[in-house]
Amino acid sequence: MSALAWALPVLPLAAGALLLLAGRRADRIAPLAGVLVALGTLVLAVAAAAQRPKVTFPLFAGLPAGLHVDGLSAVMVLTVASAALAVLVFAAGDIGADEPRARFFGLMLVFAGAMLVTVTASDLAVLLMAWEVMGAMSYALIGFWWHDPERVESANVAFLTTRAGDLGLYFAAGCAVAGTHSLSLGALADAASPWRDLVAAGIVLAAFGKSAQLPFSFWLSRAMAGPSPVSALLHSATMVAAGAYLLIRVHPLLEATGWAEALVAWVGALTALVMGAVAVAQRDLKQLLAASTCAQIGFMVLAAGVGSVAGGAAQLVAHAAVKCLLFLGAGAWLTALGTKDLGELHGAARRFRLVGVTFGAGALALAGLPPLSLWVTKDVVLASAPTPLYAVGLAAGVLAAAYSVKALVAVWRPEDALTRDDTDQRGTRHVGLAELLPMPVLAAIGAGFGIVALPGVLGPWQRLLGASGEHGPTAVELLLSGAIALVVAVAVSRRPVPELRVAANWFYLERAADRLVARPVLAFAEALARFDDRVLDGAVRMVAAGGRAAASVASRRLEFPADGLVDGLGRAVRRLGALARRPQTGQVHTYYAQAAVLLVVLALVVVLVG
Amino acid sequence: MRENPADLLPELCTLLGAVLGLLTGMFVPRQRQWAAVLVCALGVLAGLVSAAFAVPGPRVMTFDAFMLDPVTHVTRVTVLGSTLLVMALAFKPLRGHRRETEFHVLTVFTALGTVALGASSDLLVLVAAYLLASIPSYALAGFGKDAQGTEAALKYYLMGALFGLLMLTGVTLLYGLGRGTSYETLGRNLPDNTVVTVGAILLVAGLLFKAGGVPAHFWVPDVAEGASPVVAALVTTIPKIGAFAALFRLGAEVTPHSWALTLALVATATMTLGNLAAFGQDNVRRLLAYSTISQAGYLLVPVAMAGRTDLAEPALLYYIAAYALTNLGAFAVVVAVGRDRIGDYRGLAPRSPLLVLSLVICLLGLIGTPPTAVFVGKVLMLGAALDGHYTWLAVVAAVNTVASVFYYLRWIVPCFARADEGPVPSRPAAMVAYLATALTLVLGIGSGIALSLN
Repeated sequence: MSALAWALPVLPLAAGALLLLAGRRADRIAPLAGVLVALGTLVLAVAAAAQRPKVTFPLFAGLPAGLHVDGLSAVMVLTVASAALAVLVFAAGDIGADEPRARFFGLMLVFAGAMLVTVTASDLAVLLMAWEVMGAMSYALIGFWWHDPERVESANVAFLTTRAGDLGLYFAAGCAVAGTHSLSLGALADAASPWRDLVAAGIVLAAFGKSAQLPFSFWLSRAMAGPSPVSALLHSATMVAAGAYLLIRVHPLLEATGWAEALVAWVGALTALVMGAVAVAQRDLKQLLAASTCAQIGFMVLAAGVGSVAGGAAQLVAHAAVKCLLFLGAGAWLTALGTKDLGELHGAARRFRLVGVTFGAGALALAGLPPLSLWVTKDVVLASAPTPLYAVGLAAGVLAAAYSVKALVAVWRPEDALTRDDTDQRGTRHVGLAELLPMPVLAAIGAGFGIVALPGVLGPWQRLLGASGEHGPTAVELLLSGAIALVVAVAVSRRPVPELRVAANWFYLERAADRLVARPVLAFAEALARFDDRVLDGAVRMVAAGGRAAASVASRRLEFPADGLVDGLGRAVRRLGALARRPQTGQVHTYYAQAAVLLVVLALVVVLVG
Repeated sequence: MRENPADLLPELCTLLGAVLGLLTGMFVPRQRQWAAVLVCALGVLAGLVSAAFAVPGPRVMTFDAFMLDPVTHVTRVTVLGSTLLVMALAFKPLRGHRRETEFHVLTVFTALGTVALGASSDLLVLVAAYLLASIPSYALAGFGKDAQGTEAALKYYLMGALFGLLMLTGVTLLYGLGRGTSYETLGRNLPDNTVVTVGAILLVAGLLFKAGGVPAHFWVPDVAEGASPVVAALVTTIPKIGAFAALFRLGAEVTPHSWALTLALVATATMTLGNLAAFGQDNVRRLLAYSTISQAGYLLVPVAMAGRTDLAEPALLYYIAAYALTNLGAFAVVVAVGRDRIGDYRGLAPRSPLLVLSLVICLLGLIGTPPTAVFVGKVLMLGAALDGHYTWLAVVAAVNTVASVFYYLRWIVPCFARADEGPVPSRPAAMVAYLATALTLVLGIGSGIALSLN
């Protein structure tokens, strides 16, 4: 049993590490190897989901660590493995033979492997390790084309932002040890009062950073600098999903603190709303999708906050499939047509029909239109929400319908005279079989995953996640949200939506972070450096100068007398030395006399003294 | 009473070697005198080996006059070992000399007398040993038959005659007061009075002549300068070993009245005079002569402490062995270079770096710098003085040590000066210098082992 728990993450991690070590020598076999490993990982994930393996091992003294596949983890490993397989199949066609494919597939496999460890870890230490590896891989993948300084800058922004949030997890781990004498995720809710709150605060901070919730959302915009498959994986089942997963996982802790639940719920809902507005205002397809990811993850965070584990998990799975599909579609067009501008993508869906149809299905699902998946899963989440949050959620749903349909309309509208190709890069005018292959499958899952909310299926789904007794959506709620989505969709398809400038710029979140955090920190650092240079270093230099001055005073005032003393001693000794040679006359009779006198003196002294 | 000739095997081997060497030398032609030298050397070597094997033996008195104890063992090994080194040093300069054999035979007889001096525990044997050690060395001092050598030999002999006479007077006084000549009897019978003190001072004066201590030191610089360098190395090293052993034995076993005070005063005068007189010396042989006088002063410290502390014996034995090696090493450098003025040593370092290194190690050793052997000896010597409650003596010795740094460095510095031409050292003597230097380092570093054997 335990072997399976090990094998599941180790297979992609080891294979990825091997590909990375092999470097460009493995470029030719990398796509095939990557896809096969992903397939093997999916098989292992299915087995793990069925068998639920569990393993514990000693990591730190007195703090056992472990990997455990429970209900939630089973859903997650299947999602991660499936998304990884789909994306790698697509990437096998999308990443050209002239690219460093071994590095790409290696990084992707390690990325997916780290996510698998994250979702199966049963304690904070292992989770933290995997969490960090995932962050590092995301940095390497976003900056995959490192020759371009702008992409590297984007990778830096993404990495530093998530990393800043990650500090919360370290803090939480420390507080967990202090509060519960263990790192076990299940024991966090039992921590004593101040520690429990600190642990919750740290975890929430880390999760917000990873999941690009407010106010960290801007890094996801920058993450678009990586290759399309990276975006597809990063936005669906890994990275951003990790934060949502962690919050769902530690829901008992959030509940126990009393305040964290409300905070998480509200941040999730507001992110869904605000990032929905951002998405509506975007003209770049990938940026629109990125903002929509923030918004949709917001629903999952909301689910964690209101205690809808079943809803959150369903939303996560459905969104993973849909968003993976949409990014693959956007990536396929970017490769083929060389553009991701919504204005230039007119007719794209008609030129590549299969991509267009599957993308359309995904977009309609994302819009929350009945009877597709996100319509249902979102309502399962909202079913547990109190009225104010429900209202915000509905409003976010309106925006979701608006941006989804906006994108859908843009790609299906017939080509016109103003449409130009190759605005971003040179397109290939070709979408290969490998790129097409995953799309119908993802479309089917994305469209049909709503069945979990059907009355007969919701119960087992909740039992699977250990969340029995949660509310399901009522028919009225379902009808209401479906109707709103339909109306908005029709309205948006008729006339273009207004694009708020401030929303188009992501509400200047990055600039705010730069002005409010980065620059003050840098300024503070510079001030400290100046303090170090002028005050501390100055003091040291002052001491040295003072020492020199004192030395020069000493050499002028004290040296001469001391030197004179030494000289005088030397002269006296030399005179004594000359005196000591005087008896050595070279004449034996003086020797005799001296010896006799000295002996007599010696005898007298000894006799008198002794 | 124990009268086992095997107890005297080292002395008998040495004696046999000397006699056979003398006979061989009479019958081989001048160019093959080396055979006689070889016989002498083999005799000394056999003596050295048997002396080494005798070391673990019990502490016994043999022939009523010969003490077999650590003092004797160290005296034997050090004297015979030093004799071999001196013979090696003399071999090349005397090769083909008309009286080559005689030189080596006289050297061996000096050594034999010295061993007897250090081992005897009877005043009459002591006097006989004194004469045996002295007379061959007078002849050696004048061996060159040149004016300087003759003058040196005459001065040496006249000083020796005076102090021999004084010594005999002292022996007579002590014999009369102690009703015996063996140390055991004297230690039991001697009263604590002024006459004993005077007798002891007279006896000590004779031994001080051999040791080169004040007031019997006058011959040392004159002989060291006037005789050949090899003889200078011999007379400043070998007789001293036996003299200090004899002095120590006298102090430890007889302990006459006011012994410690007498010797402490003599030690102070000796080390101070030696150091002060060495300051202005430009002649390296005179400089080394005064240095040996000051070293004699340090060596008199443990002698003064004889019987007062257990540290005195190891201090003396360790210091005497270390001193013999170091002094021979320094004289070997002088023999190798063949020049006497300090200025002649300019530019030696670039030509013979190893020889200068040996000189530096030996001179630093005489100062008492670790890790050379004398350092350990000096530490033990100071420890003995403190342990024997003669703190002022330890202070005087320490101050003298500091002062002595000056004149040793005066010799080292010119060696490293630039000079267009310098002396060309002789190789065999240089080899002896290397060997002696290496031995001082080995002895210094292996001090723990060397001390644990005592």
